[in-house]
Amino acid sequence: MKHRVIFQPSGRRGEVEDGKTLREAAIELGVGIEQVCGGKGVCGKCKVQIQEGYFAKFDVRSSMSNLSPMSEEEVRHLKDGEVENSFRLACAARIHGDVLVFVPEESRVGGQVVRKAAGEISVELDPAVRKYYVELPLPSLEDPEGDFERLLRALKEQHGLENLGIDYPALKALPQVLREGKWKVTVAVWQGREIISVEPGYNERTLGVAFDVGTTTVVGYLTDIATGEVLAVDSMMNPQVSFGEDVMARITYAMEHEDGLRKMHEAIIGGINKIVSNLCEKAKVSSDEILELVLVGNTAMHHIYLNIYPEYLGVSPFTPAVHRSIDIKARDLRINAAPGANVHVLPIEAGFVGADNMGVVVALEPEKKDEVHLIIDIGTNGEIVLGNKEKLLSTSCATGPAFEGAQITHGMRAAPGAIERVRIDAETKEPRYKVIGKEEWSDEAKSEARGICGSGIIEAVAEMFKAGIIKNSGAFNTSLETPRIRRGEKGQPEYVLARAEETAIGKDITVTQSDVRAVQLAKGALYTGCKILMKRYGVSEVDKVVLAGAFGSYIDKEASMVIGMFPDCDLSRVVAVGNAAGDGARIALLNRRKREEANRVARRIKYIELTVDPDFQTEFMQAMYFPHMKDRFPHIQHILDKIPSR
Amino acid sequence: MEEKEQLLEQMRKAVIEFEEERVKELANKWVELGYDANEAIFEGLAAGMEVVGELFAKNEYFVPEVLMCADALYAGLDILRPHIKAEDKTETKGVVVIGTVEGDVHDIGKNLVKLMFEVAGFEVHDLGKDVPLEKFVEEQLRTDADLVCLSAMMTTTMPGMKKVIEMIRERNPNVKIMIGGAPVSEKTVEMYGADATGKDAASALEEAIKMVSSLREMKRKKEI
Repeated sequence: MKHRVIFQPSGRRGEVEDGKTLREAAIELGVGIEQVCGGKGVCGKCKVQIQEGYFAKFDVRSSMSNLSPMSEEEVRHLKDGEVENSFRLACAARIHGDVLVFVPEESRVGGQVVRKAAGEISVELDPAVRKYYVELPLPSLEDPEGDFERLLRALKEQHGLENLGIDYPALKALPQVLREGKWKVTVAVWQGREIISVEPGYNERTLGVAFDVGTTTVVGYLTDIATGEVLAVDSMMNPQVSFGEDVMARITYAMEHEDGLRKMHEAIIGGINKIVSNLCEKAKVSSDEILELVLVGNTAMHHIYLNIYPEYLGVSPFTPAVHRSIDIKARDLRINAAPGANVHVLPIEAGFVGADNMGVVVALEPEKKDEVHLIIDIGTNGEIVLGNKEKLLSTSCATGPAFEGAQITHGMRAAPGAIERVRIDAETKEPRYKVIGKEEWSDEAKSEARGICGSGIIEAVAEMFKAGIIKNSGAFNTSLETPRIRRGEKGQPEYVLARAEETAIGKDITVTQSDVRAVQLAKGALYTGCKILMKRYGVSEVDKVVLAGAFGSYIDKEASMVIGMFPDCDLSRVVAVGNAAGDGARIALLNRRKREEANRVARRIKYIELTVDPDFQTEFMQAMYFPHMKDRFPHIQHILDKIPSR
Repeated sequence: MEEKEQLLEQMRKAVIEFEEERVKELANKWVELGYDANEAIFEGLAAGMEVVGELFAKNEYFVPEVLMCADALYAGLDILRPHIKAEDKTETKGVVVIGTVEGDVHDIGKNLVKLMFEVAGFEVHDLGKDVPLEKFVEEQLRTDADLVCLSAMMTTTMPGMKKVIEMIRERNPNVKIMIGGAPVSEKTVEMYGADATGKDAASALEEAIKMVSSLREMKRKKEI
């Protein structure tokens, strides 16, 4: 039996099988609902409101009684007032009748600020695809040689090219193209060995697209690979987000649903094609002109876009299907490009340390430097590379989604209305803050804040620590006399960052004890990763800390060192490089030798599994303190010294 | 008598304030004075750890503090255990098999739960992490455990718990099974056919004690 389900405000509707959850219905109908935990009933972020009554426009009688009874985890996550107002968790409520569902803004996926623009890169141009213009002698009864052989002869005579093969679609089109071009054509040759396209006349423009497929955001850079010029940039939220927000949730989705991998694969290919068409529209070119593509992504994204079953990545010993780089025809992946276009996928290091991390290494080249680099790509999964030309080590650590604003009571993505900067007066304990999308700070204009994003939570916690509101153990200092610190729900202490009247959501935005704990776990994991790699490498300090990834560019360096996200280092030696994964993809698009180098470096990087290190538990425990239980931070000691009552 | 009570109080305080050296000092003194080791374990160390559990539940203590308290407690146990009288040794609340399931290498949470069981006087068989699923079944049969505790930190390894539960139920339907880990909820318990979960180590222990006593009750009735 099927029931009618309508989602508002998107207006998407459809018939859904009896017994499915609202979350499943949302996925089927293409409605984006937040689901950090992947529908496990753990995160409580997928709150939706059931509209009661008869809706003539849709001819639907919507009622709470058309859903399964309230489950225990719903009761746990829903606050007073929400239960009475017909709120449910989309992952728990099952459909047994027609319903009209309102998805409140806080639960909606989308509207994220995309922080991945094209930066400057410098690289020698040596693309995999090159174009050659040739003029062929006309065939005659005396010279009736085949079209392909005739083309080969001309390429050899005019460009010295030998031993060329031809891709089937190019061969199929060859007779017409040669005649249409009046025996004057432009030939695209891939890796000096395969003819992948033949166009009539002269056309020197050679287009390629570099893709950075992030867990949350996908970016494409349309590039003229003969000149290196970026013609257009386009990005979108990874459409797989509705199957789960982190890589583990996605892998689990593939494991638990027979067609899970297919659905996610189709979603990402659809996303890539959407970006291709947007790029072509912006640059006024045709997708048939795209001759080469490069894809980077973490290991899970890598497997899913290649349509390879990802389960074994998600369980110890975390083995990928393949380490080395791959070349595959775009048509095999159903990516819209020239029929003979090639897709190059960068190599994977190990486990979760995937091709996007290789992108970072390709862009930064630590393997050629004397200085010991500590490269940290902060995301749901922290990926760390340590070393220099002597040796390179890497690891990954589960930082959890706290840095993306999830698992935080008032956490949200980096979207308009998110608190991103925080300052707290050490004397009065009064805060001021700034939200995304507004120039003014909260003490200059009404903030209309909606929540706190990842960089905001780091600053908030750092400022709370600096003001003595929380101790180095992370516990609230409950003896302080200020109305800003109070006991919230379940009696746990919290700090009021924004009062209800300043906000756009009509309630106080607070940082609770649990939020601080989530940050401690995340930053503790990251620090432990850095520390264990440093121990294995045999250094007690590093020469340079590189924060890669879009998030790294938005966090405050000092604040992140104050909470101890990474070991002490001269702050001027801490640099953010933005979307290095995207830069690596662009470099690989423009220089084929870099691809070989990436394969070589990938094999040299030694992967260290943290959890099996005998010191892991002790290191992790000590790293959860602010900034650390034992390690010293000489470069920020002057800040630590100013903290009241330490 | 007064000195004994004072020593126990100091021992509890030293555990709560994770003063490992102090705990050792007090335990040695206790042994020197010839007091009952079992009493120090339960009225001193374990009683202190119970308070730690409460502080953890209230979020005042976090993982680092609990682990440090655990170190202090284990330091005391090492000194006191060799002095436990023979007749006290057989007395356990129940037998527990615990481990992190195959494919999963996270064990800090599991270690905390194990600690609470040990403190409460359970006999604990810890299989460690990345434990092959069949191993849980074998170990349960070998030890005749009342309770099997499964831990998984990743959504990808969680389904392994369901398989273990099915295998154990098939062989031995009366065993109680608890599951835990970050992605586990009440819904998981229901879906996988487990008996319970706890939101933290302290509440896991509470659930376990309830289950083991109901199991014992059941066994007794059968015997009658």
